[in-house]
Amino acid sequence: MVQHHHRNRHRQDQETVEENKGKRPKLFINDHVDILVEILKRLDGRSLGVATCVCRLWCTIARNDSLWEDLCFRHVSPPPSSVRSVVVALGGYKRLYMACVRPVLSRLGRVRRASWTRDEVQLSLSLFCVDCYERLGGSNSPNGRLVGELSPSSLMFLCKPVNV
Amino acid sequence: MKREHEEICGATSYGSGSGSKAESSTIGNPNKGKLWEEEQDAGGMDELLAVLGYKVRYSDMADVAQKLEQLEMVMGTAQEDGISHLSCDTIHYNPSDLSGWVQSMLTELNNPAAVNLDPVLGNSNSNSSILGQINHDPSKPQRQQQLVSSNQSQVYNDDSEYDLRAIPGVAANPPPKSESDSESTRKRMKTSIGSSGSTGYGSSSSSPQGIGVSGAVTESTRPVVLIDSQETGVRLVHTLMACAEAVQQDNLKLADALVKHIGLLAASQAGAMRKVATYFAEALARRIYRIYPQDSLDPSYTDILQMHFYETCPYLKFAHFTANQAILEAFATANSVHVIDFGLKQGMQWPALMQALALRPGGPPAFRLTGIGPPQPDNSDALQQVGWKLAQLADTIGVEFEFRGFFATSLADLEPEMLEIRPPEVEAVAVNSVFELHRLLARPGGIEKVLSSIKAMKPKILTVVEQEANHNGPFFVDRFTEALHYYSSLFDSLEGSGVAPPSQDLVMSELYLGRQICNVVACEGMDRIERHETLTQWRTRMETAGFSPVHLGSNAYKQASMLLALFAGGDGYRVEENNGCLMLGWHTRPLIATSAWQLATTESGK
Repeated sequence: MVQHHHRNRHRQDQETVEENKGKRPKLFINDHVDILVEILKRLDGRSLGVATCVCRLWCTIARNDSLWEDLCFRHVSPPPSSVRSVVVALGGYKRLYMACVRPVLSRLGRVRRASWTRDEVQLSLSLFCVDCYERLGGSNSPNGRLVGELSPSSLMFLCKPVNV
Repeated sequence: MKREHEEICGATSYGSGSGSKAESSTIGNPNKGKLWEEEQDAGGMDELLAVLGYKVRYSDMADVAQKLEQLEMVMGTAQEDGISHLSCDTIHYNPSDLSGWVQSMLTELNNPAAVNLDPVLGNSNSNSSILGQINHDPSKPQRQQQLVSSNQSQVYNDDSEYDLRAIPGVAANPPPKSESDSESTRKRMKTSIGSSGSTGYGSSSSSPQGIGVSGAVTESTRPVVLIDSQETGVRLVHTLMACAEAVQQDNLKLADALVKHIGLLAASQAGAMRKVATYFAEALARRIYRIYPQDSLDPSYTDILQMHFYETCPYLKFAHFTANQAILEAFATANSVHVIDFGLKQGMQWPALMQALALRPGGPPAFRLTGIGPPQPDNSDALQQVGWKLAQLADTIGVEFEFRGFFATSLADLEPEMLEIRPPEVEAVAVNSVFELHRLLARPGGIEKVLSSIKAMKPKILTVVEQEANHNGPFFVDRFTEALHYYSSLFDSLEGSGVAPPSQDLVMSELYLGRQICNVVACEGMDRIERHETLTQWRTRMETAGFSPVHLGSNAYKQASMLLALFAGGDGYRVEENNGCLMLGWHTRPLIATSAWQLATTESGK
């Protein structure tokens, strides 16, 4: 639905622009990917998720992990570079955000407000790491019965609705 | 205690009184209500009171309770010496007949004489503290009556308070008037109870008035007593305590009867109270019948239970996070670190530590982990699997990792040499124990040996997480009471965790706690491994052994608070700081405590 709306708007833009008979240069955002990226960088998590549904180009861009990294650390002083390698290894910033940062922030009531502190991100990282550990299968070992049986659920408590 | 009595007809019979016809029934069998042929329905005897020596029928319970309440009111309002004659002048020929006894007291009060009655008054005052704890609404006579009956009966259990075989008094020659009075009164009271019950007979109920008013005598109805779950909750607790007392006194018959009663009462409760009561009742039954639980269960089963406990509530997460923070701060400058984990289980504590080490400014140190676990019955190498998983994770995040696993039935079997400790200049050592040290208290000398082994390892830091409760006292009843309160809080917190009730997680977590309860209550000697002690006790022990405390910093506190806020029902959990140690509790009750220690040497600490 959103896709449709956006496409319509683009077409409309194009049409209105064409109506102006070349008095103004045509601006089709998809031609200016760097501007698009700058815009998307400033979106919040939900909008970024929505943006991936717009069109293929937007999807590719919005799925880029660096955008999500900016989202995670936006209001926090830039973390040391080592964080990136760790997070990427554990599954990427988008996963970090969706699995941990967002639930953590919403539980702590901070999603709407702009700023959050380093601590929340640190905590999310720790929980994320535990989750990744759980997901590691014991594929090599023959007696992996215990390891394989337990589905990763250390983050289940974040998914449960609060104050049911 | 059972008492045998003969009924003396003239003295205490009030016409067709309810409990007063002690027709040669053997008191030992409270269920033979059929022997009692009365005008009312012959209900069964109340089992609880029967066990305590009083024969009161179910149908009369409300009646007796109301009379007791009147008695108490009169005693309370009478002049100090207005009712004292009751202690000296009244004959009671059948003390097990609670109903008749109270009736005789009431008729006495109708004809007051002036004697001193301090002891009885004193008793009712001591009762008030028990009653005071229970919020009873005076406009609900039913509840109050039941409370009064159960509490008063416990007081009267103690013969020494007053001599029931008193010298003859007015009660020996009751005037016929009082007989009819009491009869009609009783009927009137019954009517009023019946009408305030759910059946709604006859006239409106009123709060019990003084006797002597002979109201309209309507058909005697079977009184209906509303079972109030709050009041049965109180009864449940009292029954549990009474059972524990009986077990301690080795009065197994009584304990057996009470345990069965607990089962009934527990069924009337809901939620956490019911579950706790059921587990405690089962544990008591095991203790009574000596069916001890098998301790040699598959360790992987306990691991599964603990995993569910890990997910449902924050206690283990709190333990891991706070201990990790302490270890992290101790390892701030080391290039090579070695962690010895006394209870590796699934290794859930270490990913977070490894991640924090990986992100350390200056890069991660080389990380060596030694995990200790119980031997597996099927010889599978569970420790190695966990180590392998951790190695995978370490590889992913770029931390140099080495793992060794040791199987040990008891930590006291470990020797420091087996662990290949490297000298402190080369490698910083941390020892971590989450809910493991208390098991050593079962073996004499166990804890001392382990603490000296730890000292031989020369750790930079020792982190200890233990339950905050005293379940290791010398007396069974004290342990039982403590455990009851502790696990009630724990189960309450599980209920409040926002997990939908028939969830597998919740059930498994409760089972995990239930096994602990079973061990605390039912086992003894070497089998009783859940010997929890309080932080203060551990502090003393550690300091005597030569450790000095390390304060957990504000980082740990912040992380812990944030973690708790994430849990549904998070407002029930509380983090407290206690002299550098962190305690996690549910509302006002601290439940687990994390503390950190270092060797108290003259060398520079940190």
